[in-house]
Formats: sequence, C-alpha cells, structure tokens
Amino acid sequence: MLTPAELVWLLAAVAKGDEAAFERLYAATRAKLFGVVLRILRRQDLAEEVIQEAYVKIWNSAGQFNPGLSSPITWMASIARNRAIDVVRKRTEVSIEEEPSAMEVAADSPDPLARREMTEELKRMLECVGRLEPDRQKLVLLAYYNGWSREQLAAKFETPVNTVKTWLRRSMMDIRECLGL
Amino acid sequence: MAYSEDHIALAAEYALGTLDADKRAQVETMMSVDKDFTAIVEAWQQRLGVLNQMVGPIEPKPEVWDRIKAAIGHSETQSPLLLPDAPPPEPVAPADAPPAAPVDTSNVVRLSAQARRWRNVATFTAAIAAALVAMIATQLYAPDRLPDGLRPKVRTQVVEVKTEVPPTPSAQYVALLQKDSASPAFILTVDGTTRNFTVRRVGATPERGKSFELWLVSEKLQRPRSLGVIGGDDFTTRPVLESYDPDTVNEATYAVTIEPEGGSPTGVATGPIVFTGKLIEAVPPAAPAPAR
Repeated sequence: MLTPAELVWLLAAVAKGDEAAFERLYAATRAKLFGVVLRILRRQDLAEEVIQEAYVKIWNSAGQFNPGLSSPITWMASIARNRAIDVVRKRTEVSIEEEPSAMEVAADSPDPLARREMTEELKRMLECVGRLEPDRQKLVLLAYYNGWSREQLAAKFETPVNTVKTWLRRSMMDIRECLGL
Repeated sequence: MAYSEDHIALAAEYALGTLDADKRAQVETMMSVDKDFTAIVEAWQQRLGVLNQMVGPIEPKPEVWDRIKAAIGHSETQSPLLLPDAPPPEPVAPADAPPAAPVDTSNVVRLSAQARRWRNVATFTAAIAAALVAMIATQLYAPDRLPDGLRPKVRTQVVEVKTEVPPTPSAQYVALLQKDSASPAFILTVDGTTRNFTVRRVGATPERGKSFELWLVSEKLQRPRSLGVIGGDDFTTRPVLESYDPDTVNEATYAVTIEPEGGSPTGVATGPIVFTGKLIEAVPPAAPAPAR
C-alpha cells in the first residue's frame, strides 16, 4: 500500500483526468476496498459491481476530495462502503428470487491481522470501542464491518428495534466523547 | 444552524450504516441541502473509517479493471485522441472594468433594491432548507411529534431468506496491552477459529536481563496461566490458547509482567504487572445477516 501522501497526490492527478495515475490508484487500493465491500455483500458478483461503480465515482469526483477533512483511503472506502450498504438495504426489500447462484466468497486474506498497519487513530478508536459494554461493542462492530441494519441487529440480539436504536445512539455518543470530540 | 443530538446521532448512524434504505435516502437529501450537516456525516465516516484498517485485503478479478476502464471511457488499445484545438474562452469583462457608457444612476437604486429582494429570497430558501432538515430529522428520530400527515408510514415487508453460506472468515479479537490509554505496548490478536494468538510489540523494550511474560488471568482459573515470554521479536505467534475454552479466552484479562530473562522460573508471575488489556471482537466473523 502506498503512503497517504502518495494517495493524495494520485487523487489530485486523477482529478485532472490522469488515467495512468488512476490505474496506479486502483492497483494500490482495490484489494482493500474489495475486502470491505465483500464482507458486507458476501457475494463476489455483487461486490465486483459495487467496486466498479465505486471506482467510476472516484474517477468522477476525485476533485471533491479534501485532504484536510479525511484520509484518501477512508474517503475512497466510504464511497465503496456506502454503495455496498445501499445495495444490501435495497436487496432485503425486493424479492431476491431471480438471483444467480451464490458464488464462493474468498476466505479472509492470508495477510494476518496482526501484521497489518495500525495507526494511532485506529488504536484510539479500538480503545474507545473497548470501553463500551461487550454487547454494545459487538453491536457497533457487526454494524460497521458486516453492514447490518438496525432490524438485523435487533434479530441477532433478540431485542426490539427501538432498543437497538437507543443502544446505537448511546454507543456512538460514548465513542465521540471518548475520542474527545 | 446548530445541530441537535438527534442530528448528530443520525449522521453517526448513517456513517455506521445501520439505517434502512428510506432513512439513508432522507439523510442524503439533508446532505444535499446542508453543507454543515454533510461535514458532520463526513467526520463520522472518517472517524469510523479507521476500522477498515482491520479488514483483510482481497483481490478482485482482473476483469473488474477492464470494466472500470470501459465505464470511464478509455482502454489501453485506444489510440491517442487528436482533439481539435479548444475554442478560445469567451472574453470576460473584468469586474473592475470602467463602464463604457455614462452611468445611469437611477439604475443603482433599482439594482440594490433588487439585490435586497434576492437576498430575502436566499434567506427564505435557507430557512426552508433548515426547516426541511429539522423535519426530516424529526421524522427519523421522533415521528410521534409530527402531525399525522407528516409521519412516515410504517411499512411491513416480507423478506424471503435464501440460505447461502459461503465460507466464513473467522472473527478476529484484539487487545491493546497498555499501562494507560495513551501508550499501548503490545497488541494481542487472537484468531477466533484457531485461537492462535500473535503479540506485536509496539512500544515496549525489556530491560537488559529481563523478559516480558504474558499471562492469562480469568475468574475461571485458580491462578494466572503463562502464555510464554513475548517481545523478543516484533511478532510472537503461538497456539497455546487452543487448550482454553472460547469463553475463557474472550473474557480473560491479559497481563504482561517483567520476569527474569527467559521467563518466570516457577510458572507463577514474580515481577510487577506492567501492561494489561482485554480482548474485543475487533472483526466479527462475516456471518450472513439475520433477515427481518
């Protein structure tokens, strides 16, 4: 993975229509973004569609990226993740009968968690998540990583949706306070 | 405008991803009329986005790139396009250019009156936008406070569940072993399936002639159990946790003590506890979502 500064530079070049820079940006970030959306969508074909749409959006809106507000990889991952969440939310509301058969979802990567980069921000976030009650930790992380809705979390925790809503809200406010914001 | 806790919670939940399709669309509407609200949502996305560092990279198929290239309108085989010279931009009169004709001063009054009128319209539009935002937020968070006509309709949907179970990546547990929240010294990660653990040294160097030893402390066990000496290398990986049941592993406190070089000679901690931490399920297993 390139450094954040290199990614910022590539995004700036992409904003000017530099196709070579876009190819390098894709090469440097595709596996991370694909990992994020595949966890949420759990279907190879859907994840590929979402990744494709996400990169087209990145190509078109690179000029809107503001390095003062967010890190390049988080900005790109948010685009992909939001798209993935939109897709799963819509899918549970329409009939899913005519789906092609499920494809194999690749198992988690050979790159072990322990060896991945952990920034100071991540350590602080984990610290704050770790201060929530165990059930709330699970709630927040299932929501973030697996893209579960309030309703799905309510089913998992066997709790009314309104309670989940309150828990989520309380948890987010606790995290905000813990981060000192 | 000032934002209520309701707005902030809504922005947070949008970033977290727990809202349903209708509420997501409503938040996006709010974002399109309110830049400051957008900034709150983006701040949450940035805050939570660091969690993606924990997600393992997975390579998409090479065809995906071909489709992206096609979608943005270029491909490698394409010959360079010869674009005709762009037409010169329309000459734009500089703002401070001297007026070409003598000024009719009666216009000035009329124009400023017009400007005032537009300003009023702008203020009014902003007020509508703010009211709209407040109304949508109320719909989302406190629908009961709205008159009947504005209350969102309750929708009941029957969802069909397909039982598809792709192989499930296992959960990953993480503990920051630290003295205080500012300075983690070791990061302990445990694989939920194999229960292998890896300890990564981030900030601690043992004194000469001493070793760091990791202990598992649990109410279920009569005394702390040694998980071995750690920190000699940047990474220490061991399968010792296999012999403990998952609940014990998940709920235990992990403690690091300073011991004589090579570890405690007696199997009981002899030195002071310098770092402790508890596991959190940092990356849940990618299980299928329960349907509702």
